[in-house]
Amino acid sequence: MTAEPMTITVERPASVAAVRTFIGRHRRRSWVDWYAAGFALLVAGIYGADILASPLSRLDGQAGSAAATHTAALQAVTGAGLVIGAGAGLLLLAQVLGPLVLSPADSSWLLLTPLSRRGILRRPALTTAVGATLVGALLGVLALAMAGPYLHAPSVDTVGSSLPGSWLALSAVAGAGSCLAAVAAEALVQPGERARALVRAACAALAVVALAGALAGQGSTALIRAVTAVFGGLTTADFTTAAIVAVALACFAWLLLGRAAADFPAAALRSDSARSGQALLAAGLLNFSLLFWIAEDNHWRGRLLRSRSWPKLPPAMTVAWADWRRVSRRPGPLAVVAIAAVFPALLGAAFTGRAHGILIAAGLVAGAMAAGLQGTTGARRDTDSATLHRLLGVDPARALAARAVLPALLCTSWLVVALIVLPAVGSLGGWWWPLLGLAGPGVAAGVLRLARTAPVDPSNRGPDTPTGNTPPWMVSRFISVAVAVIGSFPLLAAVVHGHAGAGTVASQFLVSAVVLGIYLMIAGATGR
Amino acid sequence: MAYGSVVVLEDIDLAVAEGEVVALTGVNGVGKSTLLSCLAGFLRQAAGTVSVLGGPPRDDPEFWRSVAIVADQPTWYPGLTVRELLELVRMTHQPLPAWCVPVDELVEIFGLSARADASPLSLSSGQRQRLSIAAALARPSSLLLLDEPEQSLDAGFRLELATLLRNEYAANGGTVVMATHDHEFAMAAGARIIGLAEGRILEAAEDAEDAEEPVTADNSITGPAS
Repeated sequence: MTAEPMTITVERPASVAAVRTFIGRHRRRSWVDWYAAGFALLVAGIYGADILASPLSRLDGQAGSAAATHTAALQAVTGAGLVIGAGAGLLLLAQVLGPLVLSPADSSWLLLTPLSRRGILRRPALTTAVGATLVGALLGVLALAMAGPYLHAPSVDTVGSSLPGSWLALSAVAGAGSCLAAVAAEALVQPGERARALVRAACAALAVVALAGALAGQGSTALIRAVTAVFGGLTTADFTTAAIVAVALACFAWLLLGRAAADFPAAALRSDSARSGQALLAAGLLNFSLLFWIAEDNHWRGRLLRSRSWPKLPPAMTVAWADWRRVSRRPGPLAVVAIAAVFPALLGAAFTGRAHGILIAAGLVAGAMAAGLQGTTGARRDTDSATLHRLLGVDPARALAARAVLPALLCTSWLVVALIVLPAVGSLGGWWWPLLGLAGPGVAAGVLRLARTAPVDPSNRGPDTPTGNTPPWMVSRFISVAVAVIGSFPLLAAVVHGHAGAGTVASQFLVSAVVLGIYLMIAGATGR
Repeated sequence: MAYGSVVVLEDIDLAVAEGEVVALTGVNGVGKSTLLSCLAGFLRQAAGTVSVLGGPPRDDPEFWRSVAIVADQPTWYPGLTVRELLELVRMTHQPLPAWCVPVDELVEIFGLSARADASPLSLSSGQRQRLSIAAALARPSSLLLLDEPEQSLDAGFRLELATLLRNEYAANGGTVVMATHDHEFAMAAGARIIGLAEGRILEAAEDAEDAEEPVTADNSITGPAS
């Protein structure tokens, strides 16, 4: 054992740059990793461009031709609300995750060292800034696109037919600057739990107000007139002022953050890095179970609950009853999901063309699944373990059937609300739509399957394919979504085509019953 | 020290001398990890003072040059081997003017020679725990905070580790404060055993033994796991 002081190999303290170079030099990445990342970006870009083509096409409209139709006016109000709501939602997400976070490995090995804290945070800060800039610029351009037909633009320096290129650039700069400033402000309050809670509440309130405004715009001519009048009054000076103010705020906030970074508390970084690292890994692996677990763990840790006795019910119902209790103990997420029932209507109002029906349908499936998942905690946590059933003396098939009741009810209720809102705001015509909430049980089959999927095994990467690895756990999750889509197919087809009738309702009833019945029969018999 | 309305530690009066090894013992949830977190500056006490190396925990480069901590399982860099990770730890703490163990010796002492060129991700949980502790000894420090270092370690290596802490680390002026459930390990490390019960330090040595009594409904304490 060497007991004497070690030889000093380097006189000066190591720099963060040298340490990162050391790590980078020794990390081993295969070409498949780069290929898969590039391919994923390409696919995301193609789909993103397809979705954004519709709103961005409003930039090509004739400026000042606000002879715009009522539909165009509705789109302007709804779209503006959605853009603001999306911005607030993204800021809320950033605050939940950090927004200044180190990778879990950096947090383990670089944070609690003599290395300069500012130097350690430089890379994550840069990543955050780049992300905020891109998202902010996109939101700025989208906001301009929503105002598109109502803008009175000068007829010089044009993009497309009439919109000034300078307006486009200034909108992007204003959006990017605002987003950068907001994210830096969030990072500044990151170490303070109370301040973070306030910021989260403010972001949530802004999102709710924006969405409420978007929804109110569907029926309020006065609101539509007011918003379009504001759009119509915008001038180059307004855009310039907005951009200058946003950039100034961003510079000021990032200057403050740069100063604060030197003393940024390790405790906050450690906990945020661990949480966001887990969450991002889970999201990357489509590991919904882990994502829910993280959210539940964050909520319940440190809370004291009053124990209550179990009810006297048949064994299978008793097992299922635990989920009813969980939902009643924490109704907040369910309330948020219920409010989100307006999303398909807002998407329908904001998007036209091919994206209109597809986005409404996607919103309906995603929302119904999110609602149903609120009632599957028990199945997700024990993945319907056969051992547990034996211990409790419960027939697995009956237990699963009992557990299907709550998600089926939640899916149905959510769909009914969403399908009442959709025709009410004019996104769909006819009065049959609410009855298509009968798709709930069909979606619940996919939800239950998703919840009961075995935990993700990251080491099981599966075979290489042109799109990268396709691990079995990922395939299994896609199948669960496919089951939900099949279970609600008559509804989705009707939404895409914009027409529903008695036949649609009847076929939906049949499909829901068959899909859920077959799923319960197969899953109950095989345990999977 | 409290988490919300739950008081975890109260009336703690503890002084640890330079070169001393101190073992905090007590039932699960009694506040051992919380006390270590206070010493590291991760948690701030509701009342009273905490002084580490002559001042309050500072969370600055100088503090972390002097203090090493092995708490929860770290996250490993994908692609870095055991040896490279230990080299990285030394690099982040350069210059190395005080006592610490060279990488080659660490790898040998901690029984990782056969896996020195393997990724930590491929190690067993016990080997990873060895690597975590080895990393703390790869760089100089004045205070070593260990949260249940005996976890996943086999009995033979626990004894070796205890000897290393007593005969090498502490003998070279380093101070060790550890939370542990293993009295034998603590005794082998020459530790002064501090028993915690109901968030307070027990007075007599025999009380420390009592602190390891199994949890019963009457004496269970609500709080974070330690």
